[in-house]
Amino acid sequence: MSIEIEGLTKHYGSTRAIDGIDLAFGDAVKVLALIGPSGGGKSTLLRLLGGLETSDSGSVRIDGAAVPRDEEGQRAWRRRNGFLFQSFNLFPHLTALENIVLPLVEAHGWTRDAARARAREVVERFGMGDHLAKRPAELSGGQQQRIALARAMAHGPALLLLDEPTSALDPERKAEVLDLVEELCRAGQRTVLSTHEMGFARGSADAVVFLSAGKVVESGTAEEVFGAPKSETVKAFLGKVMRW
Amino acid sequence: MWKTTLSVFVSVVLLATFSFVVWVVASHDYRWEALAPYWKNLLSGWGTTLLISVLALVLSVLVGVLLTAGQLSGHRLPAFLCRVYVEFIRGTPLLTQILIGYYLVADAVGWHSRFGVGLVVLSCFSGAYLSEIFRGGIESVPASQWLSARAIGLTGAQTYRFVVVPQAVRRVLPASAGQFANLIKDSSLLFVISVHEFTMQAREANANTYATFEAYLPLIVGYFLLTFPISLLSRRLERRYRYEH
Ligand SMILES: Nc1ncnc2c1ncn2[C@@H]1O[C@H](COP(=O)(O)OP(=O)(O)O)[C@@H](O)[C@H]1O
Ligand SMILES: [Mg+2]
Repeated sequence: MSIEIEGLTKHYGSTRAIDGIDLAFGDAVKVLALIGPSGGGKSTLLRLLGGLETSDSGSVRIDGAAVPRDEEGQRAWRRRNGFLFQSFNLFPHLTALENIVLPLVEAHGWTRDAARARAREVVERFGMGDHLAKRPAELSGGQQQRIALARAMAHGPALLLLDEPTSALDPERKAEVLDLVEELCRAGQRTVLSTHEMGFARGSADAVVFLSAGKVVESGTAEEVFGAPKSETVKAFLGKVMRW
Repeated sequence: MWKTTLSVFVSVVLLATFSFVVWVVASHDYRWEALAPYWKNLLSGWGTTLLISVLALVLSVLVGVLLTAGQLSGHRLPAFLCRVYVEFIRGTPLLTQILIGYYLVADAVGWHSRFGVGLVVLSCFSGAYLSEIFRGGIESVPASQWLSARAIGLTGAQTYRFVVVPQAVRRVLPASAGQFANLIKDSSLLFVISVHEFTMQAREANANTYATFEAYLPLIVGYFLLTFPISLLSRRLERRYRYEH
């Protein structure tokens, strides 16, 4: 996966959520982790990468293709990729199975049978086969996130975008989801995720970007950023989050 | 403890009041024989009320949906016009709307069906209330649902169809059922343009016999027979959709 970001900005009123970012990663980077303090711009950058938001200026290219700026083009872009938010991903009126089938049928044009078969296959693989007929309210937070992850990757997304996928979960539930994410990454799924799970970022990401106040403070391999951080900001941040 | 006290108190007050009312009503000296020639009219009036209610119910949902769509369209002019319509209809008496609708508007276009005009005015009136209920229901679907729908690549129309409307419908059921019950009772105002519905027949029976209670008591039974099934149905549907929190 190649990602080229040039002069990217996104402002909300007077808040500079993304404030002139330049980044470039080559094919060797399959898994990219965004870390940094809350409000640093991680979610905004993910939404820009995923075509859920339009930048004010600058460009994002993934494998040479620019993220579209028009609604129609962005919709096609969103269909090609997969997105997972921190929480409230699922539709409460649909069962787990229907949640996964809906986009396959309506956004990707699969037949209902093919979509059902695929949903079953993914959910079995995620160890959730018994929960297909349940609605989100009958699932734990971790189970909901796993179903949502199944939905985000069932169509084989070019890029999987995960925005703090475990932040809303209890510690013992985080592992359930992170194990799956790691398994997907191992299997070659190209992924960009924001996370506060430093152990996970260090162990699974090929590259790490530290964002603060809408700017890239530091970027490099996981070993570079975690092993020998250059900037004081990153040192201080890592010092704090790694202490406990 | 105070909960028990309160529920005992409420039960006693309700039971006492209810028994008293039933006793007063039941012990009245009725002249049912005076009403005998009018039973047939009352029955046909009830049939008319049933018919107009069912038709107006369907039509008012249509009006309500259109008004909601107009208000949520994102275009200023239709949104503004729908808003004005809703405020105006809700802020003025139905009685006046029926009179103006029949004697001025319908007359101007040469339409003289009392039933037809009554049906349309009633539907326009009830539709304004329904549109407020529908709009509230749609706006109560959280932003996270819209975002999720966008993220999986649904179009705007698909988002409404598969995500927003199914959730909104469940939320608006109780309030809509209440509005339907109002609609049925409001249809009694159509007497001002002499639609021979249920209440109109009772008024005529009363005017001819002076048997006031005998003429009006059947209304209680008749209207309740129409509104109670709606209430029952709404409760059942609500229970079915209770999985959402
Ligand atoms: N939709 C929005 N409207 C207004 N401000 C926003 C919006 N989204 C993000 N922001 C602001 O942009 C900044 C970056 O936010 P975000 O990208 O969510 O950071 P992070 O995910 O790193 O916590 C924050 O100051 C946040 O308040
Ligand atoms: Mg965030």
